[in-house]
Amino acid sequence: MRNRLKVLRAERNWSQADLAEKLDVSRQSVNAIETGKYDPSLPLAFKIAAVFGVSIEQIFSADDVAQAAE
Amino acid sequence: MAEHTLDTATRAKRRYRRDMIIASVLYVGAVFAGALAIRTFAPPQWALIVLALLPLAPALLMLRAFIIFLGEIDEFQRRIQTEAVLISAAVVGFSSFAYSFLEEWADFPRVSLIWVFPALIGVWGLAACVVRWRYK
Repeated sequence: MRNRLKVLRAERNWSQADLAEKLDVSRQSVNAIETGKYDPSLPLAFKIAAVFGVSIEQIFSADDVAQAAE
Repeated sequence: MAEHTLDTATRAKRRYRRDMIIASVLYVGAVFAGALAIRTFAPPQWALIVLALLPLAPALLMLRAFIIFLGEIDEFQRRIQTEAVLISAAVVGFSSFAYSFLEEWADFPRVSLIWVFPALIGVWGLAACVVRWRYK
């Protein structure tokens, strides 16, 4: 799964630690999600979307969907 | 919210550390008290069984502390720990299974079952480091 977490975070000038605090998770968790090594659960994905004030689809996309759009 | 989040994680780690220290102290106490009682009083068979199972209580407290900790950490950290526990169970389970055949059929030296639990804990710790490193 692909995500725009790093871009959205940079737009808001948040560090990984800042985002981790807002999400109530560890910084390592944010890093693992950001680098695509860990796909968050649906509840956490909703929480991430809420923190950024966007929809889940604007953050996450399946690999094949993202490739088709390119 | 940020302050609350940090406190939640820190509280979980502190509680886990405190519970593990208490359980470890109780475990050492139970082992020494049991061994001393057996040597000093020559207790009957039923008492020997009770004394032999005494260290199990603090070991269960350790397990309880870990389960509580597992429920308090975030989902990614929980994934790391559960993967590590699975690896540990597989490695120690298959190793002890294989070694028991070696003992029976190839006259390998007898190893006490008491080493299984420490092996589980040790391999779990190593596996957690490897799994965490893999996600970096």
